[in-house]
Amino acid sequence: MDTPKKPVPIVNPWARPFWDAAREERLVTQRCKDCDKFIFYPRIACPHCFSDNLEWVEVSGKGTIYSFTVVENNAPSAFIKEMPYVVAIIKLEEGVQMLSNVVECDLDELHCDMPVEITFEKLTDEFTLPKFRPV
Amino acid sequence: MSELKGKVAIVGIGEVPTGRFPETAAIYHAIESAKQAIRDAGIDKDEIDFCMPTASLFSPQFNTELVTCRVVEELGLKKCKKNCQVFSGGSSSSCGLQMAGSLITSGVARTVLFVHSDRLGTGVTAQGGIDLFSTAGISAEWEVPFGQHYSSIAALSTTRYKYETGCTDEQLASVCVSNRKWAEKNPNAFFRKPLTIEEVMASKMLSTPLRAKMSNMLFDGGSAFVLTSAERARDLPNKPVYILGESGVVSHFVFSQELDVSRFGWAKAAKEAFEEADLTPQDMDVAEIYDSYPVYQMIGFEELGFCERGEAGEIFMRGETWPGRRIPCTTDGGMLSKGHIGAGGAVSLMVEAARQLMGKAGERQVKDARFAVETATGGTYMDAQVTILGTEIP
Repeated sequence: MDTPKKPVPIVNPWARPFWDAAREERLVTQRCKDCDKFIFYPRIACPHCFSDNLEWVEVSGKGTIYSFTVVENNAPSAFIKEMPYVVAIIKLEEGVQMLSNVVECDLDELHCDMPVEITFEKLTDEFTLPKFRPV
Repeated sequence: MSELKGKVAIVGIGEVPTGRFPETAAIYHAIESAKQAIRDAGIDKDEIDFCMPTASLFSPQFNTELVTCRVVEELGLKKCKKNCQVFSGGSSSSCGLQMAGSLITSGVARTVLFVHSDRLGTGVTAQGGIDLFSTAGISAEWEVPFGQHYSSIAALSTTRYKYETGCTDEQLASVCVSNRKWAEKNPNAFFRKPLTIEEVMASKMLSTPLRAKMSNMLFDGGSAFVLTSAERARDLPNKPVYILGESGVVSHFVFSQELDVSRFGWAKAAKEAFEEADLTPQDMDVAEIYDSYPVYQMIGFEELGFCERGEAGEIFMRGETWPGRRIPCTTDGGMLSKGHIGAGGAVSLMVEAARQLMGKAGERQVKDARFAVETATGGTYMDAQVTILGTEIP
């Protein structure tokens, strides 16, 4: 079977600044100017206080692994060649969570609450994905 | 608190075996289940005035047939006023029951037929099933590009649950063994041979720490129930199975946005449902807990209040949830042993809860069962739905 191409993000228009920044290897999220909370993923209104008064800010790219798994078998078609790969929920210092892959790591050393930092992997000319590696 | 308590009852149930049936039509699973449920209720088919098919995932074409009244026409439900799909993924059992109950208590409908059918065993290939469940309900912007799929999602919950509670892989495997004990006694279950912890532990690793035999498999199947007013139910042959309490919590769409992937909203939903029913977990004769992967059955078991956080593993290891033991749990074998039929996983559990309470569960009948709790969740565990059922109204 031919391996299908890796899926690219289906981008919502209001999330475009996130992907534009990722292409420049910068990690940005929204922040609410009214309640000061960080927001990820991008929203059309603050999910905490419902304000429209949102701004984009660059964040530290530092965080911890909230949970993780090493995919060893039965991956989606486009990821079969990637196995084994790590899927993880990253909790950023700013308090938001995002799904990503942990790369450049010893698979046996991974654990919950492990500190990680941002790195970027180019997927296509248009898309660069934010990934994480152990600090 | 809703107005449903004691006002409506499940009066008939139907179900076809779970398995691989390439030779039959997908609609068979719906109409055979529905036919059985109507006959089981002891009503004339023309008493059904509202048909509520939930969704099928294997084919948009087939699902459109369900939406466009095929069940009504195939069964000749001549007095049916409305056919309307109610769908919330795996929690469709609870959401459907409560929607149907509300229609009846408000007077919009008198007797509702709720039916599920799907063909995920033969309607899609094995890899097609994996690919379907690496996109269905998973964010195309924030998770699909990272290789997320349902095994990795369950693995993320399992890793965190193990980290916080000290649960072992053997304890996870013991949930699969418990469900198999029940499936051995269920003629509609797909996996009926005895299963051991060693066999589970020897199966292929999928997404660490989740192994193949800790994972549900997709099959064809269907089930149905008929709901009517408590008043009408008392004239019918089956013991009425009343809705006694219900609640739910919607927590997320994107799985990685869930703040607690080893708890979710079960505790709050259960507290409210038990309060409405004026019952406690200790009053339950049967616990039909949603089990797509063992960790979710353990989380449900604990968060509902059957034991403290972190104790479920030992309880399953000791076999306290097996047939004839202290807390009969997921008594049709669940998605892990009966088989996963899409949105119908929990519809099966709802039907099984009613079956146990009606006293019609055959070899696996829990003696004198009066009260049951059923749980359901859809998408990537996006919600926590809890329903309390019983043959008496406390």
